[in-house]
Amino acid sequence: MKLELKKFGKILNSRPAGREAWLAAKAYLLPLKNNKEKIEVDFSGVLVLSPSWADEFLTPLKKNYSQQVVFLAADNPTVKATLEIIARQYHPS
Amino acid sequence: MTNKKYKIFHDGLDWAIKKPPKRLNPAIFCPSRDIFQARLDHLLNILPRQLKNKNLAFLLIAVIGEIGNNSFDHNLGNWRDINGIYFNFDLASRLIALADRGQGVLATIKKVRPKVSNDAAALKIAFTEIISGRYPEQRGNGLKFVSKIIQENNFKLRFFSGKASILINAKGLKIKKEIKKIPGTLAIIKF
Repeated sequence: MKLELKKFGKILNSRPAGREAWLAAKAYLLPLKNNKEKIEVDFSGVLVLSPSWADEFLTPLKKNYSQQVVFLAADNPTVKATLEIIARQYHPS
Repeated sequence: MTNKKYKIFHDGLDWAIKKPPKRLNPAIFCPSRDIFQARLDHLLNILPRQLKNKNLAFLLIAVIGEIGNNSFDHNLGNWRDINGIYFNFDLASRLIALADRGQGVLATIKKVRPKVSNDAAALKIAFTEIISGRYPEQRGNGLKFVSKIIQENNFKLRFFSGKASILINAKGLKIKKEIKKIPGTLAIIKF
């Protein structure tokens, strides 16, 4: 399945908004735990993504669905910088 | 920072330290996160024209959003007197200023690092280590992100809390002890 983040907004930058998005995605969008379908996270159309929002959405997504989650390539510099920062959390050096 | 060009910084400083605080014009005061978000959305509409580079505008909005939202995240239910933040910008001078009358960085860091005893050390930890004052929540990336964006895009940030400040620019990070105490936080961004 493709998870289009722009459907949560073009500016994704606060913790409460990220948490709310995660709860909504869990309830209505994401597959059940025993369904091993791939989840492609699509950042196109997002203008601003920051670590606060990502910590509340992408971190639990990775934690709950680990190998199923694929982040699609993105051009936006805030998306790239945020993914770089939060990746250190998943793979601390 | 004494000339007229830095008026928004001095207004923020004044509001951050005076007791009782000066009443702010509603156009530059965000009593809630929703109002801050709405003003940030507005700034995103006008910044790309000013910068003539939409990617730089997106990065700047991300930095401002992290700093402003941090004030709400760490002071919710715990503001010293006024709930909310000062948020002002001067596009002609290419300056953004934010301030809060919250607990400050040292008080937040002390929750997870009780041995940290001064403002300078607390600022260094906040901007360089992945650590959250809201332990055990998995967070604490925001100010490292701010530092990275500032350094890589030729912006400049001076962030004050307590009796210390941190200057971040393309050359890196520099911590300084300050004479005036800012109990909460004050940030000035030059872009």
